[in-house]
Amino acid sequence: MRIMVLKKRDLILILFFLLVGIFLIFLFNYPQQTGIAIVEQNGAEICRFDLQKQNRTEEINVGDKYNVRLKIEPGAISFIHSDCPDQICVKTGKISKPGQAAVCLPAKISVKITGNKKTHDGYTG
Amino acid sequence: MKKNKKAILLLSSILLVLIILITVIWIKSGKKPPSYECTNFAMGTYIQQTAYGKNGEKAAQEAAKKIGELENLISWRINDSDINKINSAAGSEWKTINPKTTQLLKTSLDVAKKSKGAFDPTILPITSMWDFGGDNQHVPSKTDINNFIKYVDYNNLRINENNSSASLKLHYMGLDLGAIGKGAACQEAVSAYKEKGADYGIVAVGGSIGIYGSKPDGSLWNIAVRNPKKGENQELSIGTIEIDSGFVSTSGTYEKEFTENGVTYHHLLNPKTGYPVNNGLVSVTVVCDNGALSDALSTACFVLGKEEGVKLLNEYNAEGIFIDNNNKIFVTEKLKNHFRISDSQYSILNNGVK
Repeated sequence: MRIMVLKKRDLILILFFLLVGIFLIFLFNYPQQTGIAIVEQNGAEICRFDLQKQNRTEEINVGDKYNVRLKIEPGAISFIHSDCPDQICVKTGKISKPGQAAVCLPAKISVKITGNKKTHDGYTG
Repeated sequence: MKKNKKAILLLSSILLVLIILITVIWIKSGKKPPSYECTNFAMGTYIQQTAYGKNGEKAAQEAAKKIGELENLISWRINDSDINKINSAAGSEWKTINPKTTQLLKTSLDVAKKSKGAFDPTILPITSMWDFGGDNQHVPSKTDINNFIKYVDYNNLRINENNSSASLKLHYMGLDLGAIGKGAACQEAVSAYKEKGADYGIVAVGGSIGIYGSKPDGSLWNIAVRNPKKGENQELSIGTIEIDSGFVSTSGTYEKEFTENGVTYHHLLNPKTGYPVNNGLVSVTVVCDNGALSDALSTACFVLGKEEGVKLLNEYNAEGIFIDNNNKIFVTEKLKNHFRISDSQYSILNNGVK
């Protein structure tokens, strides 16, 4: 039996496929930077936005007696207005990562971000 | 012959790549059982649950139900709740209550005693005047605070475990379990997960968190600690705690506050003075194996301050993270290796309490 000697071209070929493989593994493992924002009232979904596909900034009126308004922009969502006394929702600022949530307690309106990769299991505080 | 070899080489390379890919995808998808997420509002706050396993949905629904039942027992705002009954009968008679309420009052009294009143379940006369987050939030007059602060005294709360009853000694007294209830709710959820056979799960009731079981890949649960300074360009969290089980609660000034005549008042009131605590802390996070305790201790430690707070945590075998208004973070000894900062504006005070 003859020992097979690899040619340079064969080596390049193997290397190429290995690189493709590694690239694909990274692609599958790469955490999604953002996700789907789900707007809920009292735990029931009102609407959802794919923040990754969002390519312009817009405001939506969720209403309620507190006149809640949300701002949706590429990769992030935030409460920009509520007539509630505590303003916690507005102060929360922009949320963008899966697992994050912003809430207007008096209006019982919440926005949570879901996605395949959560950076955290939960938030305290 | 040579061509054949090349073809074999090519095919085996492709095969190799495919095998690696399939293995990776298989491992990733095989690891996670189905998960069920749900959110709702109860106990005056936002509740987020994620329960895993084929019984996840049932478990989360049971948890939501149990939290609702607990709220109906311990909220002073709800007519006919145990707490409402005790408050209405303050200064007159004992009331028979659910054993669950009795147990929670017992835990409250224990923390009240050990914290020397830094946590006080009888703080309602004062909290109801401030009404943080309510439609009538305002700074009460000095006279009102002076008149009512004497009715805040846990020594005048009496419980009888034998017949599950409780009473407040003086008229005008009132119980407010707001500083322990969310942690107790986490405990209810975790017991529901266990009862209904969820594989593992996590519940957040406001800023309190309960963990049930462990993840199949063996990784620890990571809990983000919220940045006390919220705003446009701030990161949402300042760091991460990694734990395998237990409960986490945070008391922070930013949760409920309002500004009147240029002064900002936060909701963490000193039961001795009736005014917001002003000791340089902005938040305290407590990790412990009991939900109600983690919640009550976070409030007690905030009021006590770092040094006394750490002593109290030691008594309960609990761990904590104290954040002050100079962006300095103090982490108790056992938690140090499980906490890492992600926001470079903050730094850890390493040398501990002397």
